[in-house]
Amino acid sequence: MTRDKSTIRAVEDNASVDSQARRAPSSSGDAQLSSSNGVDTGVSSIALNASFGGGLDAPRPTLSLGVLGTDSDVEVMLRVKAGDEDAFGFLVQKYRRAMVHFMFRTTRTQAAAEDLAQEVFLRVYRSRQSYEASAKFTTWLYRIATNLAINHARDTKNERPENTVSVDAKNEETGQSFDVPDGSLTAEQNLVRRERLMAIRAKVLALPDKQRIAVLMHKYQGLDYKQIAEVLKLSESATKSLLFRAYETLREQLKEFV
Amino acid sequence: MKCDEVGEMLPDLAAGLAKPSDAMKEHLQACAPCAARLQQFRQTMALMDEWEAPELSPYFDTRLQARLREEKVAEASRGRGWFAWLPRPAIAMAAALVLAIGVGIWVYSTHGSGTGNMVAIAPPPVQPNASAERGTAVSDLQTLDSDNDLYADFDVLDDIDSQQNAQPTTN
Repeated sequence: MTRDKSTIRAVEDNASVDSQARRAPSSSGDAQLSSSNGVDTGVSSIALNASFGGGLDAPRPTLSLGVLGTDSDVEVMLRVKAGDEDAFGFLVQKYRRAMVHFMFRTTRTQAAAEDLAQEVFLRVYRSRQSYEASAKFTTWLYRIATNLAINHARDTKNERPENTVSVDAKNEETGQSFDVPDGSLTAEQNLVRRERLMAIRAKVLALPDKQRIAVLMHKYQGLDYKQIAEVLKLSESATKSLLFRAYETLREQLKEFV
Repeated sequence: MKCDEVGEMLPDLAAGLAKPSDAMKEHLQACAPCAARLQQFRQTMALMDEWEAPELSPYFDTRLQARLREEKVAEASRGRGWFAWLPRPAIAMAAALVLAIGVGIWVYSTHGSGTGNMVAIAPPPVQPNASAERGTAVSDLQTLDSDNDLYADFDVLDDIDSQQNAQPTTN
């Protein structure tokens, strides 16, 4: 598919990345927002690979700066709408990690998280013809992801007793454990650490839907108040208040672990 | 500044999202409960950092590609609308041809090749007492009827034998 360089213009920033960049440096010893929001930011320097597959170690499909200039996700999505499969591959590569991480913190297993993340991209693909560049792409993406995550949580409500979540459960494919024991700690310390992780997970999962999603987007995905407000269709002040209540709950409930 | 005003900013301050203003700094230095809450928020944020997400499985892309292929096929089917139920045209044509040949062979073998004309032949009327074609259900029933008659004859013979044996010898 030919790309019309002259018509390309920047209409949207990479929200997650920018929100990280906007963050004021914290003082030493302060808690940080997650250092990695899962968005592959280094995807704007080499040429686009037609297939987004090829394994995780394959060269990242990216859009060439020479072709796109100051490219934006909205612009890329409009290309997808026009039938550019490569552009879709670019978006998948850019956001797949972020989506899996987001879904992982709303589900019990990595397999379910990856399945849901794939479903997000399939819905993006299905909706490409009706896509309107009226909002940021990330807002649209996270709205899809949020709907899926909340529906999944409701569907599996009876299957996810928070107290029985096992941090030892290994991924069937990768063999990785949710919690890899820290070799520098004693067995007892590792046990305490596991309990702490389970508590964090359980307390976050036990938050009301909107609070939980807001915390995940704010704390782990690096979205700012404005973006979260757009995703949840709330005002910024309501979002701020929502997040404050959620963090207050977590502060109270996790007090014994700090 | 009041505690309420500072309170809402504490998560952002603890997360490093915002820097405290001078007024806020003054309040935090003067208000021990707010300073303590800020410290707790910092500890909570640090604790939450421990919850890390794992790396993607190596099959993520492969699976997504497979699902995307299925999606494209489904889209193509939806696009055909009325004829969506049909498989590919070549397959449909081949199936129709095979069906036509099969029907032709059946007609040829049933009615023979010497008739020349394709005339519909009505089945012969069934005669009530005519013996049915062997192997059919009617034939089996007729066989059972005749067997019953035979068994009845055997019973009569058995009765005669037993009567003869029962008569005493006169010698």
